[in-house]
Amino acid sequence: MTLLAIFQWLQSTEVATALRESSWVYPIVMATHLSGMALFGGMILITDMRLLGLVMRGSTVSDVVGGLRPWKHFGLLLTATCGIFLALSKAEFYYHNPFFWCKLALFLLVIVHALVFRNSVYRNTAAIDRAPVIPANAKVAACLSLALWLGIVSFGRLIGYYEIKP
Amino acid sequence: MLVYDPSTNPLNNNDWAFPLLEILHIAGFAFSIGTIAIVDLKLLGIGMRNQSSAQLLKDTMPWTLVGLAVMLMTGPLIFSSDPNMYLRNESFRFKMGALLIAILYNYTIHRKVAKSNPSGALGVVVGGVSLLLWVSVVFAGLFIAFV
Repeated sequence: MTLLAIFQWLQSTEVATALRESSWVYPIVMATHLSGMALFGGMILITDMRLLGLVMRGSTVSDVVGGLRPWKHFGLLLTATCGIFLALSKAEFYYHNPFFWCKLALFLLVIVHALVFRNSVYRNTAAIDRAPVIPANAKVAACLSLALWLGIVSFGRLIGYYEIKP
Repeated sequence: MLVYDPSTNPLNNNDWAFPLLEILHIAGFAFSIGTIAIVDLKLLGIGMRNQSSAQLLKDTMPWTLVGLAVMLMTGPLIFSSDPNMYLRNESFRFKMGALLIAILYNYTIHRKVAKSNPSGALGVVVGGVSLLLWVSVVFAGLFIAFV
């Protein structure tokens, strides 16, 4: 079974077909995808900018990163769940869409980012608060995170602009 | 007579201009709505524990404004690509109404109440209304393409 065949099969499943053919559920899932993005985006933005020392300097890094974490996770879960369903509903189109693969590549980099910086930065905020200045690796993590997510938003939007040439 | 012809708009003559504007528009609303949501969640009593809503409001306000500014610069440009379509679009008209209310609400009632560090019902109502207003703006924006 080729990868294309798998994508075609995914698109032919009952749930993917129902979503693709519905006139209201599809845009509702898409709008929920966007709303989740607003929530997640805000949480990522403040988390990373606190690491850069640009915002909420009156609060500790632990308070900001820890306090926003549950909503960051919730926003990501909401956005990702809706996104997966949107992709499933048009899986064959996504298979041929270079922007989709660019977006997936950036998700892989997000996982690498988490492997590198999760323990040393995002789960290590007490040490960051004790340090006299915010350590360089925390600032690098924050910049990379902001760049990765902006890239993901960009490729996500571009997916909709790709046309399969006949 | 002056007639605006969208086909002369540079936006409609470049493959990348429109998606780029949309990306900035999305990033702008993530900044503004995301930061407003931080205050709303606190008002609802389910947000950050160690900061007051007044403190959160003060900390996030400049970034909310940056997001709003990006939204309000990119939005009208997107609109200029096809004004007649947008003006006839019911979802667009609803969005403009909801957006106006949401912005006015944000800088009056929402701001005043967040500054007063309310406890209980008042915070829940004011934070809940704010979230509902902004989510309705996002939904109406997306539905422009589907009505």
